[in-house]
Amino acid sequence: MAADAASFLLEVVTPERVVLSRPATFVAFPAFDGEMGVLPNRAPLVAKLGIGIVRAEGPDGTQRLFVDGGFATMQGETLRLLTEEARLPEAIDPDAVERELAAVRSRRLDDDQAFARQQRALARVRALRALLNRE
Amino acid sequence: MANRRVLVKRRKAIQNIRKITRTMQLIATARFQAAFGRATASRPYVERLAELVAELSRGTGEASHPLLATPAGDAPVAVLVLTSNRGLCGGYNAHVLRTATARLDELAAAGTPTELHVFGKKGIGYFRFQRRPMRAQHGDLGDTPRYEEVEPFATELMRRFLAGEISAVEVVHMRFHSAGLQRPEQVPLLPLRPPATAAAGEGVEYELRPGARELLDELLPATVRIRLFQAFQEAAISEQSARMVAMKAATDAAEEMIRTITRQYNRARQTHITMELLDIIGGANALS
Repeated sequence: MAADAASFLLEVVTPERVVLSRPATFVAFPAFDGEMGVLPNRAPLVAKLGIGIVRAEGPDGTQRLFVDGGFATMQGETLRLLTEEARLPEAIDPDAVERELAAVRSRRLDDDQAFARQQRALARVRALRALLNRE
Repeated sequence: MANRRVLVKRRKAIQNIRKITRTMQLIATARFQAAFGRATASRPYVERLAELVAELSRGTGEASHPLLATPAGDAPVAVLVLTSNRGLCGGYNAHVLRTATARLDELAAAGTPTELHVFGKKGIGYFRFQRRPMRAQHGDLGDTPRYEEVEPFATELMRRFLAGEISAVEVVHMRFHSAGLQRPEQVPLLPLRPPATAAAGEGVEYELRPGARELLDELLPATVRIRLFQAFQEAAISEQSARMVAMKAATDAAEEMIRTITRQYNRARQTHITMELLDIIGGANALS
């Protein structure tokens, strides 16, 4: 994408495969401390990812996907998201999400650790649902 | 001659076996290609992650992290042995188990306590027969290891390593070199050895969020998880490749046997005809 200064390459990579590789003009992704946006010609960056929705705007429309943790690196004109879980909206099963939500809600909270886990799980389910509802 | 009937039956049986082994060879080939494709697909992640670790540990200088440190004390060493669930794959399991047993004996000779984690029904059966106590037996993992199946094992091992319950983790599995060559290998998983920091410094100044140390805190466990996943993937590829070769050899051997038996059968048939002719000629001669 070097020839086209108005866009850069977005790659979403999981341990199992490259989920997405396409040119983008703007990408918003969930960093550990809040959403972060990237435009072309950004300075090199390494950031920790949180849980949430990645929004990639490109020449061929906007693509959304769900990520759970990992890292984002911007180097040159390539933004790479290394994550252990990345799911495109069509790969999410709505029923499974509802089941997960029910399971999370029914869990007992005995200590702070359990509470933290609960918050994480809830954030995850919320992001998945938000992504589904948008479709 | 009864001999002929036996030969025909035998040839029929071997033809059936050949049909089966050939089919298994084809299936193994397809599975091998699928497994190989998956391993190739996960390579970008592995490479980027290693790059990132190298990049960040250069920034922080001397790397020190609980996952990198060898703990004091005499907690046991966890040995993970990856075998297959199914047989008919030549010496695949035997090779892995021989290496595993050798390593266990070596550790025992050094006075290090060990605990055994066995994956795959073949390994479980072997160690049960050997009456070696196993801490964990997993015979339910499929031919195609998925990341989310392997991840919990890595997470649990790291938790126990950090809690001081185990002093090291080693994995014995088949390393895939090529379709014709696989070697059993024993690789240390924990304490973690960071990838060689030989990556020539391009000197890119990264903006780090949060700091390098916090990022490494996340990256190192991710490295452990992916390394274990890779070990499972290599084991899966090697298994299919070994089965492919074994079944090819079996098919070839069956063909060879069919050829030999056909020759024997033809000779027996000819002998029989000759003898009958001789009988008739002999009878005719006696009459005249």
